[in-house]
Amino acid sequence: MDAPHETALQLLARKLNSHHRLSEVHQRAILALPHKIRRLEAHSYILREGDRPDRCAVLLQGYAVRHKSTGDGSRQILAINIPGEALDFQNLFLEEADHNVQMLSRGVVADVSREAIEALIATHSEIGRAILITTLIEASIFREWVVNVGQRDSRTRIAHLLCEFAYRLNAQELNTDGAYELPITQEQLADATGLTSVHVNRVLQALQRDGLIERDRRMIRFPSWERMQDVADFNPRYLHTADLAP
Amino acid sequence: MTDASSFGPLFRRWNRRISLTNEDQSAVINLPWLRKQFQRDAYLAREGEPTGVCTVLIQGFAFRQKILSDGSRQIISFHIPGEFLDLQNCLLEVADHNVQAMTRSLVAIVPKDILLQLMGARPAVRKAIWLDSLLDASVFREWVVNVGRRDARQRIAHLLCELALRMKAAGLGDGPMFDFPLTQEQIADATGLTAVHTNRTLQALRKSGLINLTASKLTILDWDALAEEGDFGERYLHHSVQAVCSLSGRASEG
Repeated sequence: MDAPHETALQLLARKLNSHHRLSEVHQRAILALPHKIRRLEAHSYILREGDRPDRCAVLLQGYAVRHKSTGDGSRQILAINIPGEALDFQNLFLEEADHNVQMLSRGVVADVSREAIEALIATHSEIGRAILITTLIEASIFREWVVNVGQRDSRTRIAHLLCEFAYRLNAQELNTDGAYELPITQEQLADATGLTSVHVNRVLQALQRDGLIERDRRMIRFPSWERMQDVADFNPRYLHTADLAP
Repeated sequence: MTDASSFGPLFRRWNRRISLTNEDQSAVINLPWLRKQFQRDAYLAREGEPTGVCTVLIQGFAFRQKILSDGSRQIISFHIPGEFLDLQNCLLEVADHNVQAMTRSLVAIVPKDILLQLMGARPAVRKAIWLDSLLDASVFREWVVNVGRRDARQRIAHLLCELALRMKAAGLGDGPMFDFPLTQEQIADATGLTAVHTNRTLQALRKSGLINLTASKLTILDWDALAEEGDFGERYLHHSVQAVCSLSGRASEG
């Protein structure tokens, strides 16, 4: 466990500020939140379904997923989280976690206690508003995922997921020269789209063959964002950010 | 203005989690609500429009949906009286989906700025509204699982369980029979299935003695079996219903 760092929560402050303009005072209050830094191995759990959440992890490095399993053990990924995102705002006022949160890769989180966040919201209503906006946008993304797995064919589904991921990384300025780290295996991609991994593999190869994506180990790039967006039936409206096309 | 009884279902739901004072409740009731009636299938809000208001369903049923570029429709939630239809509007600038009346419906509409002011002034109301938005999100997550990983029979059984339990919790019928205005097409659009597949699956559930479904009534004949078929667990509803419900057992015994 590392010592708290005064700028550890910078990414979170930046993200909240992008949803709702916050003053210097508010941003400093976010940075001053008491927190504990934890380094996590890939696949370690941050929260399990049924847990009573008493803290909120903020992702500083690495990627995480939310997921749920059905009674027969098949897994559905519900969201992919990127650095700067709080992983437990969804549970802020709820007594029991209704899904799992798990690291995809190795990473670092800052744990903030639920009381500290509730106190912050009580003192600074503008920060509360920014947090509420964040959870509302997350809900909008869940809605879009219902649409994605409910109605789109496999090619469109996977393309849509890739577009969303790139767009969100862009919004957080986490891209490098138009390339995006894709920390997700084909099996995980299958779990996020309700497909089999064989099917995912076939679709990725087709997207590559058609010149829509280029992959180099864990990096992915889109030679023509416009074409990709078209194939993906992707309209970033549901992300509720200003125009940030890659 | 609107009369206090219109908000009975909303306050009953909120009071299960948050203690609202009489002043809190009066403050909500006394907001400048506009009552408005919608015909079946009418749009209450459209994707892409700027958001100006928040809406509480007073009577009837409504649903949220999105239409894809190829014209297919995905229903993303169903709503019953006492629920907000568009809570996210209070803080998001543009509607990201459509809201449609399922039956003839009565709603109460308030400008979002006025609702926000009230949330600023009354922490208990703010918390209640915030919680509602988190519960909505939990239901959306469960729906991702439902369309993503369950087979047709499970999907439909799960949907019927959710609706029955929510209606029961809202005091809209105490089972085993519920007012059920959903068409097969709407069930299909909510579960990502074709109308033909939906029809066949409903027939199969009927033949197995789990449900009876007529034009406007759903009767759950065997709750435990239907919940098991639907891989239905109540956790994602976050006790909003559990404490007040006992739907278990065979209907014929009751």
